Amino acid sequence: MADRAEFLQKVRHRTQRGRYKPTHAPDVAWTPKDEPQYSPSVEDPPARFIEELEALGGHGVRVGNLEEARDHIVSLVRERDAKLLLRWDVEELEELGVDGPLEEAHVEVAVWRGLEDFREVAGRADIGLSTAAWAIAETGTLVLEGGPGMGRSVTLLPPTYVAVVLVEKILRTVPEAIEKYAQGGADGLPANVCFHTGPSRSGDIEMSLFVGMHGPGDVHVILVG
Amino acid sequence: METEKPARRRDTDDRRREGIASPVEGFNARAKNAVADAQLHDSIELFTNKSVAGRNAVLNALPEAPELRELAYHIKQETMANLDRYLGQMADAVEARGGNVFFAEDGEDVVRYIGDLARRRGAKVLAKSKSMATEEIELNRRLEEDYADLDLEIVETDLGEWIAQLAGDTPSHIVGPILHMNRRRITEVLSETAGEKLPPDVEALGSFARERLREKFLAADIGITGANFGVAETGTIATVTNEGNGRLVTSVPPVHVVVMGIEKLVPRFADLSVFVRLLARSGTGQKLTVYTNFVTGPRGPGEIDGAEEFHLILMDNGRSELLGTEFEEALYCIRCGACLNVCPVYRQTGGHAYGSTYSGPIGAVITPLLKGGKEAKDLPHPSSLCGACWEACPVGIPLHDLLLKLRNRQVDEGLAGKAQEIAFKGFEKGMSSPTLYNIGSKAARLAQKPAQKDGSIRPMPGPLGAWTNTRDLPPLAPKSFRELWKEGI
Repeated sequence: MADRAEFLQKVRHRTQRGRYKPTHAPDVAWTPKDEPQYSPSVEDPPARFIEELEALGGHGVRVGNLEEARDHIVSLVRERDAKLLLRWDVEELEELGVDGPLEEAHVEVAVWRGLEDFREVAGRADIGLSTAAWAIAETGTLVLEGGPGMGRSVTLLPPTYVAVVLVEKILRTVPEAIEKYAQGGADGLPANVCFHTGPSRSGDIEMSLFVGMHGPGDVHVILVG
Repeated sequence: METEKPARRRDTDDRRREGIASPVEGFNARAKNAVADAQLHDSIELFTNKSVAGRNAVLNALPEAPELRELAYHIKQETMANLDRYLGQMADAVEARGGNVFFAEDGEDVVRYIGDLARRRGAKVLAKSKSMATEEIELNRRLEEDYADLDLEIVETDLGEWIAQLAGDTPSHIVGPILHMNRRRITEVLSETAGEKLPPDVEALGSFARERLREKFLAADIGITGANFGVAETGTIATVTNEGNGRLVTSVPPVHVVVMGIEKLVPRFADLSVFVRLLARSGTGQKLTVYTNFVTGPRGPGEIDGAEEFHLILMDNGRSELLGTEFEEALYCIRCGACLNVCPVYRQTGGHAYGSTYSGPIGAVITPLLKGGKEAKDLPHPSSLCGACWEACPVGIPLHDLLLKLRNRQVDEGLAGKAQEIAFKGFEKGMSSPTLYNIGSKAARLAQKPAQKDGSIRPMPGPLGAWTNTRDLPPLAPKSFRELWKEGI
């Protein structure tokens, strides 16, 4: 058992030994060019987001308004022959109004609130539906925050996952997205933030791609606006 | 530091005893077998070639990569210089969020903490996401043995790690744990688990694993992960996975335990911007992995999933011994595996020849440092010092340089043979002085004459025999580049 004070004292003592002469690290192959270059700018963020997501095997579509998004989801649910859709309990998805049309089509809709046994519901759901705090154009990434109504399992356990994102939520680059959480220190940080990029996958068997390893293999993002 | 030495028992075939606490010997014998294994060779070639090509492509498309690398090096340097302060800050941040922090001197401490936690929670199923730190301390085996009365079921959930676990094997690569197994072998292992013959195709095998492991995610009482990065400022743990198992074991079980090596710290959340961009590109040739997951403490008020109990174990296990020494840079490693993929030795032998959790150039450096030089005295030698590892390293660790320093240390400690002592000291001297280098290389060309045969150097007689028995030594050119240059080529 290590006592915190003793442990840190030992570490401090060792950092101060001072025998260490740092190597001047970076080298030939990586030496910066005279003029630093930066990644090409993202010209059209929604188009780039869809392009990147599709390259990873996900599906992206841009629609004009919430009604079109709702229709898109309803037809996707029909195509997948889904019995149960589980969605986040957030205002944007209330506005979207998928619950009524789906129930009419005899699809059960479960909402992420007051669940007795979330594992049972999320484990049984065919489709998970959420929004996203941000999206990242250069990588086709969804930035998912945890919080009340915003279950992590919704985006993880159902084999099909759908996210509805307003186009103004699209950031250009990964550093921009990290910057959003780097400002406020620990207080402003949700207990979970996840950068989710395309369908779950594994290459552990002879480097052959297997899609839908533990998370959803069927990922759809609907950009609205 | 080391509270107790484990008994020196070693069943040579039991790869589960390859953690830092177990002795590692006989690189040459294992390497000889590995090199003769054509199937292994094909598997390694497939993995490393693909990985190197992917990495090169995606890093070349990132023009600021050199600056990021330099930045990463300096961030790590600053972190290590103030490690006690950042560790304290991280612990405070986690506790402020309602998490528990435990400082572990070694693997023994970690095993005891997790075992006691499992007992208190009445836990049965422990689901693990891939973690080299827990491999290093042989966590699974020791929990099963030391807490046998709890009858724990400890399940690796990364596909490769799970298959390795089922086969009683250990990972042979930091990123591609079962690259040494071909599909036929994997099919055998999974068929035995299934109790029926599975077809040898990736769809069938993957689907079977998905189904089985899903039961474990849902049933797990405790989720265990490592940490790719820990942020001192916010207490955040960052893990990267492609399969989603990392996010599952931190979201579904009611308890989340993180086993983090103390060197995984970065000071600020903003620093992740540098490391996240380098890690996936260097490791798997992706811009980002599918899941780059940031967990800060237990779940917040009103949340239904996410762990209600969060435990961070900050593990030393020999790491702090490197602080303030000439080997400190070895602590900068972010475990991307890029140095393994480019290493001419690793590419011939694979990971198991190293007989240790960490293989390849970084393994050859940190294993003797964490274990103690005597225990792993073979490891600084299987290297051509070509520097490919240094070039590939996304944080610029001068690995070849550290290997040379380790060899020197062996000489100082009297662990090297007499001939090696002369050779290494001479090598270091010769390389650091142009005049000596010229004289030395002329002398070497004369000295090699009796041993030269068919254009390569045959095993040398006398004290150099041990060196050339295991190496194909190319003959020196008739004239050195320096001499040709002087003559106007």
